[in-house]
Amino acid sequence: MRFLVFCQASFFFAISAIAAENPSPSPAGTPAVETRPSAAPKEHLATELKGGSVLRVNSTNQSYDFFRPWSKKAPSNRRGLGAVIDGGEVLVTAELVWDSNFIELEKPDTGERATAKVAVVDYETNLALLKPNNPDFLKDLQPLDTSVAPKVGDRLSVVQLESNGTPVSTEALLTSAEVGHYVLDDYSYLLFKMSCPLQYRDNSFTLPIVQDHHLISMLLRYDPRSQTIEAISTPVIQHFLKEADHQPYQGFPSFGLSFSTTRDPQFRHYEKLSDSEGGIYVDDVEPDSPAAQADIQTGDILLSVGGKSVDPDGDYDDSQYGRLSITHFITTLSYSGQKVPVTLSRHGERKDVVVSLFHKPPQDYVIDPYVIGRPPRYLILGGLVFEELSRQYLREWGPSWQREAPQRFVYFDHYQADLFPKQRKIVFLSQILPNNDTIGYPQLNYMAVERVNGQPIYRLEDLAKAMEKPINGFHKIEFDLDPKVIYLDAAKVQENAAALQKTYSLPAMRRF
Amino acid sequence: MIRSTLFGIACLISTSAVADTPKFDVHKSIVRITTTAQEPDYRVPWNPGSISTGIGAGFVIDGNRILTNAHVVANGRFISVQRENDPRQYSGQVKFIAHDCDLAIVTISEPNFFKTMQPLHLGPLPTIQSDVDVYGYPIGGERLSVTQGIVSRIDFESYSHSGADSHLAVQIDAAINPGNSGGPVLQSGKVVGIAFQGYSGDVAQNVGFMIPTPVIQRFLADIASGHYNRYVDLSIVPESLTNAAARRALGLPDDDTGVLVSSVESDACAAGKLEPGDVLLSIDGHRIISDQTVELDGENVDLAEVIERKLKGDKVKIDLLRNHQPLSVEVELEPNNSYLIQANIFDEYPRFVMFGGLVFQPLSRNLLEAFQIEDLRVKYFYNNFINDEIFQDHPQVILLSNILPDPVNAYLSEFRYQIVDEINGHKIRTLADVANAFDETSDFYTIKFVGASRPAVLQRTAVEEAKERIKDNYGVRLERNLGEETLR
Repeated sequence: MRFLVFCQASFFFAISAIAAENPSPSPAGTPAVETRPSAAPKEHLATELKGGSVLRVNSTNQSYDFFRPWSKKAPSNRRGLGAVIDGGEVLVTAELVWDSNFIELEKPDTGERATAKVAVVDYETNLALLKPNNPDFLKDLQPLDTSVAPKVGDRLSVVQLESNGTPVSTEALLTSAEVGHYVLDDYSYLLFKMSCPLQYRDNSFTLPIVQDHHLISMLLRYDPRSQTIEAISTPVIQHFLKEADHQPYQGFPSFGLSFSTTRDPQFRHYEKLSDSEGGIYVDDVEPDSPAAQADIQTGDILLSVGGKSVDPDGDYDDSQYGRLSITHFITTLSYSGQKVPVTLSRHGERKDVVVSLFHKPPQDYVIDPYVIGRPPRYLILGGLVFEELSRQYLREWGPSWQREAPQRFVYFDHYQADLFPKQRKIVFLSQILPNNDTIGYPQLNYMAVERVNGQPIYRLEDLAKAMEKPINGFHKIEFDLDPKVIYLDAAKVQENAAALQKTYSLPAMRRF
Repeated sequence: MIRSTLFGIACLISTSAVADTPKFDVHKSIVRITTTAQEPDYRVPWNPGSISTGIGAGFVIDGNRILTNAHVVANGRFISVQRENDPRQYSGQVKFIAHDCDLAIVTISEPNFFKTMQPLHLGPLPTIQSDVDVYGYPIGGERLSVTQGIVSRIDFESYSHSGADSHLAVQIDAAINPGNSGGPVLQSGKVVGIAFQGYSGDVAQNVGFMIPTPVIQRFLADIASGHYNRYVDLSIVPESLTNAAARRALGLPDDDTGVLVSSVESDACAAGKLEPGDVLLSIDGHRIISDQTVELDGENVDLAEVIERKLKGDKVKIDLLRNHQPLSVEVELEPNNSYLIQANIFDEYPRFVMFGGLVFQPLSRNLLEAFQIEDLRVKYFYNNFINDEIFQDHPQVILLSNILPDPVNAYLSEFRYQIVDEINGHKIRTLADVANAFDETSDFYTIKFVGASRPAVLQRTAVEEAKERIKDNYGVRLERNLGEETLR
């Protein structure tokens, strides 16, 4: 669904000589730059950045293979531009350094290189801060200021580097600001949309977008057909940097509820809502979430949040960007640890509550929305490979995983709050490594484990514990699908474990 | 196992002696059937449907009956039957139709029709590599066509007419094309099958399928009761017991006997008789081998084959171990109903209720295909209807399948394809529940959907005001069909 640009394979332009109408001359010695045949991009040397505020970032990433959770996939390289900011750090998109093994910073003008590590990363807002291992590396560079947010209609500059290191900027018009998807499904924040005739240059992920000496935004994706950019907005960057000053990093908060609109007049009459009021209907409240702890209930109508009145579409009046979804106010303008007053209507009566905001980490979900930067958990018993279900696992089916992955699991994931109200994990059989203990069993997979040796299984630890108590010398494993029961000989499984590990070259039989 | 299935069945029918080939004229047995069918459109369920004409074959069997495929006459509004070398057309009536095994009996009211016709007799299951002749009217055509082929393989195959049934089928290498359907496949003057399906040319060539005589004979035996009762099913899922640890854990000797009951459908005939965890040892006196086969007349055939031969109300005797204790149970066999959600529906108008421009329909294969529904929950309910016993709470899964846009429902589009749970506090288990709930007088109608807390709300005054407007705008001929309007 996402149009991933700056992936070299899917994106190219014809290379020709400099177009005559190009307003800015190219420096002597520069090889031919790429231009679109018919478009005349407003492009100029980013002289204001000459002092050096951007760096090349090369990252070697290696993610875990969720189908073979004991091993990693082949390493791959990603390149991008990082923006130097105050405090001797470099801001990049988190995507650039997902599951990174090795990061290198490179000064565009001198080619000088230094290794770096990730100081703070937020996969949900797709932002990361890098710190060079040698703090002096950034000394002669000019940090960009991040305190200014643009208005819709402003002209901004997208920074790129020529292959010789010369910074080039392309003008981009900020056309709108609205809440939309970032990189991980289910995580939406304020997006900047811009129109911009961008050209492909030799970097892939992450391009900084600036206005004078201010860092405004980081490019998320570019659609070359419509020439539009979607980018991480300034308020999100500002929130991230402010939050990153405190350790430990807490993450962007949320209420932990889903809502629907109340435009329908018949629905308003039924709920006895006056036509002049706004309000959104609370569909679901996640257990133990900030909303749940503040006693917000399904069926409540939220009228105002943090003093901002909420209209029937769920929008409030933002001083900077006009009508915006109230989620922007909650996730980005508010911070974890803050208390937000909420006025709601319950059965026609007004009620004031205070929501104490916090961020829910992915591992607190029944099915982790993402597993990045940490290895998948697994346990192998007699050749049966058990894992905990995560959306990262489902994403192994590729971009259309929602249709390709085992549908039962996609359903579990989508409706997890509904189906599994209690805190737990879904332990499932991902595959069988055939061996003497499994002779006679078909090749089973994608079955959720309900009980082992009579014990209910809510996480891999439960499975490890249940394994210690076989019934009359046998492990009894019960699934949610047919065949619903299979047995293993406990003594033989133990006896054969070393041979199994050797046969399949498994580094370890479990990890959690 | 494939070949052994064949032998098991061949033995069953070996009692019917194959006589010497009599000299006969096949033209006196075969008829050309032209069906004018009306296929309902599940997207516009009040419409009578599009009219199409199809041609197939059929042949006369004893009792002045014409045997053909169910799909030749399904959804038929008018059936015209022609004999070879006779200019007249005769009107046919479908007497019995079996969608689960794609067979039908057509009769002709004109008394003289059968006078000059010669009934064909059923033969045995042919052997692999033997020659067969296929008769029919491929790609239409007025004159009878014959092609020749050999028997390539005999196995359980999916029957594409219902889309949810598998029975024994014989693969032959003679071309079978549309128009061949219902035609007899002959060997030594006897019917050894009915041509019924093939692959389109871009999938496979020279692969045609016929319904073999064991399936035909079962059909004829079933309708002898005067009514077609469908195939019966134990409605359990057995699990092989070929793993040594599993056998020892269950305390079974190393004798390759017995299968484990993995699940028992709670509303079907084996419920209360068989339980998950039972070890089935024998069925009707045949030892059950641990890989889910039984030995019949010296050959291993699928355990299901014992049931395939039975009729509704027949009993099957099963010896088993429950908690290590031997036990013998008798199950009276019944057709399974839950799987029908995945079977194509024919010969009835789509069931629906329309209220305030909202169209409610029970989930079915036809509905899913008509709307190409991709909704996760709908697909889950469809695919896990039996395994997760969805039928307990939703014997019919009622969808808000469509919305006819009108001011009364302007804000309800997000509810499309949701599954109805309650209307005005009444649990919705069937389409009739929907109709009854809307028949009650109430100021507001609140429709709650599965997994959604916010209801859709319709105000009675608004619905009444919109009623005629919607009917006029969208040509809604009738506002509901709860199943009274069936074809036969």
